Amino acid sequence: MTTRTPLRLTPPRVPAALAAGRRGRRGHGDRALFGRFRHGYIAPGALIVAGLLYLPFLWTVYLSFTNYDGLTPATWAGFANYRALLHDPALLTSIRNTLIWVAGTTLLPVGLGLLVAVLSYNLRGGAWLRLPFLLPYAFSGAGIGLVWGVLLSPGGTINHLLGFFHLPGASTPLLSYAPLNTIVLIIAMTWQQIGVNTLLFVVGLQSIPREPIEAAKIDGASGWSMFRRVIWPLLTPLTTVVVGLALVASLKTFDVVWVATQGGPGRSSETLAVTMYRDTFVADQYGYGSAVAVLLTVVTGVVSVIYLRQQLARREGLSG
Amino acid sequence: MRRRMRNVALGAVASVSVLAAIAGCGSSGGSSSATTGVTLKLYNDKGAWSPYFNQLGTMSKKDIGIGMSPVGYTDEPTYQAFIQASFHTNKKPDLFTWQTGGQLAEIAQLHQVANTTSIWQQGIADGDLPKGLEQYYTVGGQQYCVPLNVAYWGMFYNKAIFTKYGLTPPTNWTQFMHVAQVLKSHGVTPFYETDVLFSFVWFEQLLAGTDPQVYEQLSTGKASYTSPAVVNVMKMWQTMINDGYMSDPADKTDPSVMLKNGQVAMVPDGSWFNTSMTQQNLKPGVDYGYFIIPNVNPSLPKTSVILESGPLCSLVNAPDEAASMKYLKWWITPAAQQPWSSARGDASANPKVSVTGDTDLSTVMKNAGAGQYNLLLRYFEAAPPPVLAAALDAFGAFMVHPNSYMTQLQTIQQAQQTYWSSHQAGS
Repeated sequence: MTTRTPLRLTPPRVPAALAAGRRGRRGHGDRALFGRFRHGYIAPGALIVAGLLYLPFLWTVYLSFTNYDGLTPATWAGFANYRALLHDPALLTSIRNTLIWVAGTTLLPVGLGLLVAVLSYNLRGGAWLRLPFLLPYAFSGAGIGLVWGVLLSPGGTINHLLGFFHLPGASTPLLSYAPLNTIVLIIAMTWQQIGVNTLLFVVGLQSIPREPIEAAKIDGASGWSMFRRVIWPLLTPLTTVVVGLALVASLKTFDVVWVATQGGPGRSSETLAVTMYRDTFVADQYGYGSAVAVLLTVVTGVVSVIYLRQQLARREGLSG
Repeated sequence: MRRRMRNVALGAVASVSVLAAIAGCGSSGGSSSATTGVTLKLYNDKGAWSPYFNQLGTMSKKDIGIGMSPVGYTDEPTYQAFIQASFHTNKKPDLFTWQTGGQLAEIAQLHQVANTTSIWQQGIADGDLPKGLEQYYTVGGQQYCVPLNVAYWGMFYNKAIFTKYGLTPPTNWTQFMHVAQVLKSHGVTPFYETDVLFSFVWFEQLLAGTDPQVYEQLSTGKASYTSPAVVNVMKMWQTMINDGYMSDPADKTDPSVMLKNGQVAMVPDGSWFNTSMTQQNLKPGVDYGYFIIPNVNPSLPKTSVILESGPLCSLVNAPDEAASMKYLKWWITPAAQQPWSSARGDASANPKVSVTGDTDLSTVMKNAGAGQYNLLLRYFEAAPPPVLAAALDAFGAFMVHPNSYMTQLQTIQQAQQTYWSSHQAGS
C-alpha cells in the first residue's frame, strides 16, 4: 500500500505580481484604511449577533432562575427550576428520545447518504440517480412532519402498504407508542436528509486527488478494500463536518416532531427542544422552559465541542 | 486611539441605524386616531375563520365606517405567546381573541385588557347580551371583552348511519350506551376521540354528566384529580375505550371527514363544528344531526352542557382605543351577529339572532335560553394553563394506555398542587 496523503489546508498561492502590488504603496494605503475602519465593518454583524443571539441567551439564563409565567413580573426562584428538572419524568423521556434522535440521524442519513454517493459516483447517469434522493431536501421540517404525520397515522398509507405486502405492523398505530413513534419520525427525517448528505459526500469524493487512488490500484486495491483503506480515510475531514452538522441538528430536533405528534401522545415522543417549547409556551412556565433551554444549549455545546475536539485531534494525529 | 474610538463609535451608530431601519420595516406604522375610516386588525387563533372575519370587516366598514381585517393564527401556543408579548411592546393588536376563565382573569388583573362594563350594561339592557353569559366575562365585578362566539358542546351524528341501524338520538345514558353498542356490533366505530389538543373532551363530558360540582371544583383547585368521583369517571372512559367505542386517538384525519365518510358515527364537539361540516358540503338536519349528550347520573336536576364562549377583546393601550371600543359595541348587535352566525351556521351570543336551517341547534339554543341546562364552562378555558397542559398530555397518554388512568391522574394532580400552591384556591 502507498502512504496516506494528508489533507492540508494551505493558503492559495498568490501570483508574484499581485503580491508585489500588495506590498506597493497603494496596497499599503488600502490596508491602512481597512485597519482604521475594521471595527466599524465588524460592528453591524457583531451587533446583530449580540442583539439577536447573546442577549436573548443571557435573558433566557436569567429567566431560568425565575418563576416567570409570561404575564406577571418574574420572581426569583434560585435553582428551583433546575432541581425540578432532576425529578421530571417527562424530561427523562425527552432525553431518551433525543439520544435516539442523535443516534438515528447521525447513523441513517449520513450512512445512507455515503452509500448512495459511493454507489452512484462515477456511474453513468449517477447525477440522475441521486436526484430523487435530493428532492425531499426542499421540504421544511414542518412539511415533513405534516406529510409523514398523515402517512403514519392509523390506517394511513404506511399501514396500508405494510398490509398489502403482508408485513408485520399493518394494524399498529405507528405514532402512538414509544419509542416506535420516535423511530418512524427518524425514518421520515432520513428520507429528507439522505440527498443532501449524498451531495456533500459526492463533493468530497470529487475533491479526492487521483494520485493515491491510482497508487492504490497499482497496489491491487479495489472495491471494499479501496473504499476502506483509501477513500474513507480521505473522506474523513468531510465526514467530520457532515456528522457534526447531523449531531447538532439532531440535538435540536423540533419541527418534525411538533407538527407530527406535538410530542405526544402523553409526551412520549418529545425531544428536548419540544419539551422546552411545550413547557414555555403551552404550559406558560417560562422559567422552567428556560431551564430546559439552558440544559439543551449546554448539552449541544458540550457534545459539539467534545466531538470536534476528538475529530480534530484525530486529524492532527493523522497529519502529524 | 481617539480616532479609533471615533471610528468604532461611527460604526456602532451606523449599525444601530441599520437595525433601527430593519425594525422600522416591521412596524405597522400606527393607526389613525379617528374613529372612522380606519381598518382594525383583529388577531385571532381561528385562522380557518378568515373568510367570515373578512365578511364582517366589509360589513362594519359600511355600518360604522370602521373596517376590520383578520390576522389568523392556527397554532395556539404561538398565538398566545404573541399576544402576551404584545403587552410589553408597542406592537399591540387593535382587537384580539382570547379565552374566558383563568386566562381572561389573568390579563384583566394585570390591567391589560380594556374594561367593557358599559358595553355589557347597555347590551343586557337592549337584549343584545344574555345576563347568564355575563359571569364568564366578569373579573372583580367588572366586565372585560365581549363574546366573539358561544358554542354549546353536544354530539354530532351521521344521520345516514343512524337511519341505517334504526337509531334515534338518545335522551338518557342507557339509551346512549345502547346506541354505541348497536353501532359497534355492526362494525361502526361509535365515537371520535383525539389525543391532540382536544384530548380533554371525554373527561370533561363524563365528569360534567356525573358530578358537575366536582367538575367545577377541579378548575378552582378545590377538588383533587385523584378523588373517587374523578377516578370513577376515568374507569368509565377506560371501559368505553376497551369496548371499542372510540376511534384511534392518533388518527389525524379531520373529524368532519371521519363523520362524513362513516369512519365514526358520532363526534362530540362545540356547535362551531357546524362550520367544518358546512365546509364538507354537509347539511344540518339532512346529512348530520346534533343532540345534547345525556347525563351519566340520571338523578341530576338538569342536563350538564358544556358552554364555550370565546372573548373578543381590546387592550387598554390599543393603538386606537376609541375605534376598538366602537367596534366591540357594534359587534354585539344583531347587525353584526346575524351575518356572523349565519355565515358559520353557529349559535350567537345575541338572543335576538336565530340560526336558520338548523332545527337541532335552534332547539338547543332555545332550551339554553330557557334555563333548561346546567351550563358549565369548557375545561379548556376553566383549567389554569399549567394544569391544562399537564391534563392534555395525560389524557393523550391515557388513550393509548387506558390502564394507566391512575398514573395520569396523579400527574395532573401534581400540576394542580404546584399551581394552586402559588395561587389562591377558588379565585
